[in-house]
Amino acid sequence: MMVVSPILEISRQLWRIVGMALQALWAYKLRSLFVIAGVALGIASLTVIVAAVDGAERKATEIVRWFGPDAVLVFGGNIESRAVGQRRLTLSYADADALRRSLPGAYLVVPMRAKSNQSLRFENRVVQVPLVIGTAAGYAEAWNWPLVEGRDLSAEDLARGAKVGLIGDNTARELFGNRSPVGHTVMVNKLPVQIIGRLSYRGVVSGSGSIDDRIIIPITTLTQRFNLNRKYFRALRVKFYAPELMTEHIANLRSLLRHLHHLEPEELDDFTILSAEEILKFLSMFKSGLLLFLGVTALVAMTVGGFVLANLFYLSINERSMEIGLKKALGARNWAILSQVLIEAVCLTLVGALFGMGLGMALGQLLARLGLLQILFSWKVFGMAVTAALAIGVLFGLKPARQAAALNPIEVLKSAG
Amino acid sequence: MSGGEAIIHLEQIDKTYLQGDLTIEVLKGIDLAVTSGEFIALQGASGSGKSTLMHILGLLDRPSSGRYLFQGQDVAHLADDRLSELRNRQFGFIFQSFYLVPYVTALENVLLPGLYSSTPTRQLRQRAQQLLEQVGLADRMHFRPSQLSGGQQQRVAMARALINDPPLLLADEPTGQLDSTTSAGIMELLREMHHQGRTVILVTHEAEVAAAAERSIVLHDGRIAHP
Repeated sequence: MMVVSPILEISRQLWRIVGMALQALWAYKLRSLFVIAGVALGIASLTVIVAAVDGAERKATEIVRWFGPDAVLVFGGNIESRAVGQRRLTLSYADADALRRSLPGAYLVVPMRAKSNQSLRFENRVVQVPLVIGTAAGYAEAWNWPLVEGRDLSAEDLARGAKVGLIGDNTARELFGNRSPVGHTVMVNKLPVQIIGRLSYRGVVSGSGSIDDRIIIPITTLTQRFNLNRKYFRALRVKFYAPELMTEHIANLRSLLRHLHHLEPEELDDFTILSAEEILKFLSMFKSGLLLFLGVTALVAMTVGGFVLANLFYLSINERSMEIGLKKALGARNWAILSQVLIEAVCLTLVGALFGMGLGMALGQLLARLGLLQILFSWKVFGMAVTAALAIGVLFGLKPARQAAALNPIEVLKSAG
Repeated sequence: MSGGEAIIHLEQIDKTYLQGDLTIEVLKGIDLAVTSGEFIALQGASGSGKSTLMHILGLLDRPSSGRYLFQGQDVAHLADDRLSELRNRQFGFIFQSFYLVPYVTALENVLLPGLYSSTPTRQLRQRAQQLLEQVGLADRMHFRPSQLSGGQQQRVAMARALINDPPLLLADEPTGQLDSTTSAGIMELLREMHHQGRTVILVTHEAEVAAAAERSIVLHDGRIAHP
């Protein structure tokens, strides 16, 4: 007899077993379909979770880049301990002046107020904008947000309470189509505002809509025309030189504000300082929450998929006991039977993984369209889905496979006579 | 395959089963020698132990005690995988209920034992086609078992038994589910296989089927009955 190398021999056997497994999968289509569906659901949730967490991370970096590592945003009121009846309007124009004068390292101090959900009208088009923002000169610089055309708000606009404004990219598109908005007058509620500049497209989607849906006017104009408190404003944007000294900058800002607000040492801050680092901290908290919630969901879904597989395979092995017993009688070794069942299981889970990924991405697109999550395909998602599918196939296929391999041929091949 | 050597040698084979507290002796002290090239009919009533003896002969079951020498080798100490290998190479099995894999074609059914051997695939396919031609199913190669008559299915099973060219054929009531005309054809094929030099052991309870054999062994109550 010809001497065949054992490796060649084993790979030939495996190849033949793969062929038999595929034939069986095709023959028992309904079983295959159910297993694929069961696994696909599990993998779909896994895909959503991985992609969502990745998306959240990407969004975090984007927000931080946009927020700027050299800047803070100060709100009136304390977010961490929002006591009943605590005032949220605690930042005054006097504070802003004092900071401009005496906060070391700060080169831009821009107070802000906003009016939400106003309607804008140009000619016969009307749109709702989530935010009409009132701010000081240098909005584009304060937010690292370049203008694509026109000019920024100036100190003179502020002093005059001029009826001029900057327009967000989305809003401009909705009101003006492809025309340039600069020079035209838009009705903000009942206030005519002449557009002097257009912000570039930023494309960050947040809970309340796109960041590109906005209009920015001088804070003096906003206060006068919308009849807001003249002494206080809501938020303060401060930019610093030397971003490597942010910790010190923030400490200085805090003690100066506490001093200006006459806070005793035992009193809590009546303002909140938000920095890029704080935002990152918050986003990572959000991310771990997401991970936990979706992770449990995906784990449950995959376990269910695994049990569907195991049960269907048990049934199938019973149904196919003649075939398996026959193969053993005709000379199939135990490992050949074991590997055929495992290969059947893994093939199904892998196909399930592909469908699951498709389903997950589709689901992700839906969530992205609803503005909930931003989901992108990545090789990481692919790798994890395939690994999880392999694990489900082997883990839940092993017991049925061993049961098949242990089948005694004479038990199933009893002659009728 | 020259005749005359003992291919199978059984010495004092016992087989007992435990059923609850009861020990059931199915085979009691079987002595049997099968010479290469023989055609033996194994007869006996239902419950006589002939199926169990068949399983032991075919290395599908192990005796409780006694010695089984297959081609001079004591099989008692062989591992399951080694027994699988022996079954694959040395035995062709033919069953009463045919036992064809329902979802593959006749050709693929014939190939099946070959797939667990080390014979190259191309060679196997050629041989499977030849065998199907020999059993008169050249035009049915790509039919599923459900598209074949009982007699045709048994012919496929017989072609399958020969795919690895084994020296021994074990046929367990091969005509038990067939009418007499079809049975005659199957027995004719079996005789042909014997004439090719194969040792054939045929299990049957029908005297006329057994008449085809050269030697008849009758089992009665777990023992070989001596007339």
